[in-house]
Amino acid sequence: MIVPNGHVLLLAVILFLLGAACAIARRNLLMILIGVEVMLNAASLAFIGAALKWRQLDGQVFVIFIFAVAAAEVAVGLALIVYSQRRTGALDADAYSRLKG
Amino acid sequence: MKILLSLLLFLPLGGSVINALLGRVLPRRVVETVACAAILGSLAAAVAVFARAWQSTYYFVILPWVQVGSFAANLSLYYNPVAALMTLMVTFVASLIHLYSAAFMREDRDYVRYFCYLNLFVFAMLVIVLADDLLFVFLGWEGVGFCSYALIGFWYDNPANADAGRKALIVTRIGDVGFGIAVALCFFLFHNLSITLINAQAATISPVLITILSLLLLWAAVGKSAQLPLTVWLPDAMAGPTPVSALIHAATMVTAGVLLLVRLFPVVSLSPLALMVIAGVGAVTTLYGAGAALGQRDIKRVLAYSTLSQVGYMILAVGAADIIGGMFHLFSHAFFKSLLFLGAGCVIQALHEEHDIFRMGNLRRLLPGVYWPFLLGALCLSAFPMIGGFFSKDRILLATYLQPGLGYKIFWLLGLIAAFLTPIYTMRMTFLAFKEQADGPAQADLKPFPRLMTWVLWPLAVLAVGDGFLNFPGGPGKDFLARFMAVVPGSRPDLGASTALEWTMGLGSGAIILAMMALAYYLYGRPGKAWAWPGGEGVLAWGFYLDYFYQQVLVKPYQALARIFWQDVDEAGLDRSFGGLAAGLLALSGGLGRWTTGRLSTYLAMLFLGLTLLVSALAVSWYLW
Repeated sequence: MIVPNGHVLLLAVILFLLGAACAIARRNLLMILIGVEVMLNAASLAFIGAALKWRQLDGQVFVIFIFAVAAAEVAVGLALIVYSQRRTGALDADAYSRLKG
Repeated sequence: MKILLSLLLFLPLGGSVINALLGRVLPRRVVETVACAAILGSLAAAVAVFARAWQSTYYFVILPWVQVGSFAANLSLYYNPVAALMTLMVTFVASLIHLYSAAFMREDRDYVRYFCYLNLFVFAMLVIVLADDLLFVFLGWEGVGFCSYALIGFWYDNPANADAGRKALIVTRIGDVGFGIAVALCFFLFHNLSITLINAQAATISPVLITILSLLLLWAAVGKSAQLPLTVWLPDAMAGPTPVSALIHAATMVTAGVLLLVRLFPVVSLSPLALMVIAGVGAVTTLYGAGAALGQRDIKRVLAYSTLSQVGYMILAVGAADIIGGMFHLFSHAFFKSLLFLGAGCVIQALHEEHDIFRMGNLRRLLPGVYWPFLLGALCLSAFPMIGGFFSKDRILLATYLQPGLGYKIFWLLGLIAAFLTPIYTMRMTFLAFKEQADGPAQADLKPFPRLMTWVLWPLAVLAVGDGFLNFPGGPGKDFLARFMAVVPGSRPDLGASTALEWTMGLGSGAIILAMMALAYYLYGRPGKAWAWPGGEGVLAWGFYLDYFYQQVLVKPYQALARIFWQDVDEAGLDRSFGGLAAGLLALSGGLGRWTTGRLSTYLAMLFLGLTLLVSALAVSWYLW
């Protein structure tokens, strides 16, 4: 156990915040998707850290699940982005405002 | 009999239905023929029924109508001498009016609607005449009211005409309320609505209830027959086409009230108080109508007020317990009044819709074909001795005089004064319209009209002059009508007057009527300027301000109340509070709507903010507990 648990969590928090900031601040759909991926990985990191600390494999199992979800999300998300790009010619998230009240 | 009676009743309805459904696609001639043929067929059926039935009575159920619990109402007919005379009169007068209408409405585009309503009108009246069930009578009663509304407001382009139609409907509706309550009371008392049954069982009911029922029936009759205090719709009803006025005044509608009282006379006669009130209403209306007719300038309004007056006599006759006199006068009145109206229609059309008798004149020379029948009608209305209304009016006054009690003497006096005013207003109208006037219309001003319109006047004139002989007090056909109607319950063929009294009254009133006609000639008939009322004709011309009074006392406050409800309660109160509520909700939703920016980043930021707050709250609570 070289890396202390607190550091792992801190790194996870930093990564999560970076991902969130990316998802909020960027307007390009691709960048938002990347931000979300970063946030997912931050959560995975926290799970790994926790699994190591309590010596239980459940955390690692969860991470595998998260990988699966992330892969599915990227597959669907990218497909949507490609479709949206074809449809509107823009990757700007703010351009999708047709449902605005 | 069943078939003939059904034909008599339903032919006009059939004509109306055919015209209503197919009138638009049929040529004009066919529409007119259908309408006239329906009524003429009805007349033929009436004659056939009359010939076969004579004095006997028939009762039969066409079909059961309503059957709920103990309540039953049938579409049933009852034929007796009263119905016999009425069906003959109604179909005969209506046939002539239909023929006349075909000519009168020759330039009107809405002839289909006109003939449709006209047929329906006759049907509704025949229902009142023939129906045995009070609910069925009520159907006809309302049908008559509806048709009068539709025909009085026939030329609805002009708001005044439409108003007159509405007025007729609303004012008669006040009377219909009385009828509705009377029907309900009849059911409560007799558990049945058959008129024959009610008449037979009336004696078993307590006098107070009978009085109430009779007064309710009077209330109904007052509305339909335009008696005081519900007279106001009739003069305004002149807004309709003239043949319609003739139909309303002579054959249908205004006589319905009298007929109702006559048909239910065995009930009414049980209550002396009700008879007294009925006689009073009739007598006062008689004088009121005669007085108001003296001041009218519109030829049709003169006739309208004279109708009030003459129908007042019929009501007075019922009040004096002499339904034979009432029916007799109803008969004479039907003939001479339809004659006068149809003649007035010719005059009005010839003079390009001129109604003012002071702007007429010269018509004796210009329209001789109208003048002679019109004069005969006017003489009948004036009760010129030995013709027309003389005998009937005489009989009514005699019956009133013979009733015991001071009240009837007063009513007799009122009726007598009205009888003496009648020749004055009638001859005033006739003289002013027909005598030579230097500045009156000339031959070139006249608009030609079909000869048919003057032809139909003659049968009416002959009957108007001759119908007095139906009940001539002497000779071969002595008291024919009285003997014919003797089988009707409640009728008194012989009034029990001494011959001396009969002759005194007949001769006396005849002499005074002649004197009054001479006076009318002196005032209005001499060549040159006609006499005018010294103080103007205001009070009389306005019908003693009765209409104005209702306007001020009922209509104005009602309108004010309606305005309060409309402007203050509805618009200012309800509308504004709902408007305020809606505006508040709109502002609120507008504020909430601002959250929906459509920017993904805002949503995400808010999501994270919320998540942070939630997790922080969880963390804090975890540390604290």
